[in-house]
Amino acid sequence: MAVFRLGQSWDPLRDLEREVDRLLQGVNLTFHGVRTGRQYPAVNLHESANEYILTSELPSTAPEDLDLTIANGVLTMSGQRRDESEIPEDRFRRQERPRGPWKRSLPLPERIQEDELSADFHNGVLVVRLPKAPQEEPRQIPITSE
Amino acid sequence: MSTDPPIEPSQDLVMAHRIEDSTSAASDRFVFTPPIDIFETADGLVLRADLPGVSLESLELQIQDNRLTLFGRVETLLPEDAVTLHREFEVGDFLRSFILSDEVDYDRITARLSHGVLEVELPRAAQAEPRRIQVNAE
Repeated sequence: MAVFRLGQSWDPLRDLEREVDRLLQGVNLTFHGVRTGRQYPAVNLHESANEYILTSELPSTAPEDLDLTIANGVLTMSGQRRDESEIPEDRFRRQERPRGPWKRSLPLPERIQEDELSADFHNGVLVVRLPKAPQEEPRQIPITSE
Repeated sequence: MSTDPPIEPSQDLVMAHRIEDSTSAASDRFVFTPPIDIFETADGLVLRADLPGVSLESLELQIQDNRLTLFGRVETLLPEDAVTLHREFEVGDFLRSFILSDEVDYDRITARLSHGVLEVELPRAAQAEPRRIQVNAE
């Protein structure tokens, strides 16, 4: 299921996760995605002063094969890696790269301007920018008493 | 006739680099071994490596002796003030090297980079003609 839980305090968990990552990196494992069970593609979410930035590594995907849709606060990314089915299986000496179509849905943070969302896809790295909605002024609620 | 495979990924250089890297001052970078495919074609071999985030300018591909090394530097695209809320992958550079056999024609190796994938074509060398050695009698 989804992994975005903004606004909740789960920093201890993240620290632990990061620490485990660092340990695993330290033993020089030679491939990405040591922890299985992750959805493809992996995404990172960052926050700057006025926007959220979602990044994902999608090598071997042409921009025309990548589809981004947004509805009801859920961003759905789908695409497919370049078709390499013309290469017969028995020609491969080594095959480590993932292949095929993929799809992933991510609930977006609240208070973003969905209309202003922009995406940039360069060298196999997708960067989606989600501008934050302007902070609303606190509104005074009139209280009437009789 | 040699029975060596024409191309063989080599690991020792990767490790050497990591150790070297961890002792340097700017050691806060990851170095990943990119996933690769190698397949045969009529003309030779083709190598494809996933290198997301590597541009033409930041990619180094070199052959020294019989070792083909690829190194791709990945620059972060984030603004300085960005903080990470959620992380599923680390951003780092890519390094991997391969041992080529004599079956590969080194002079005709070509490479291109598109959509974060490096493709290296390794044409097969023309078979050496058997040469007759003249034996002289004294």
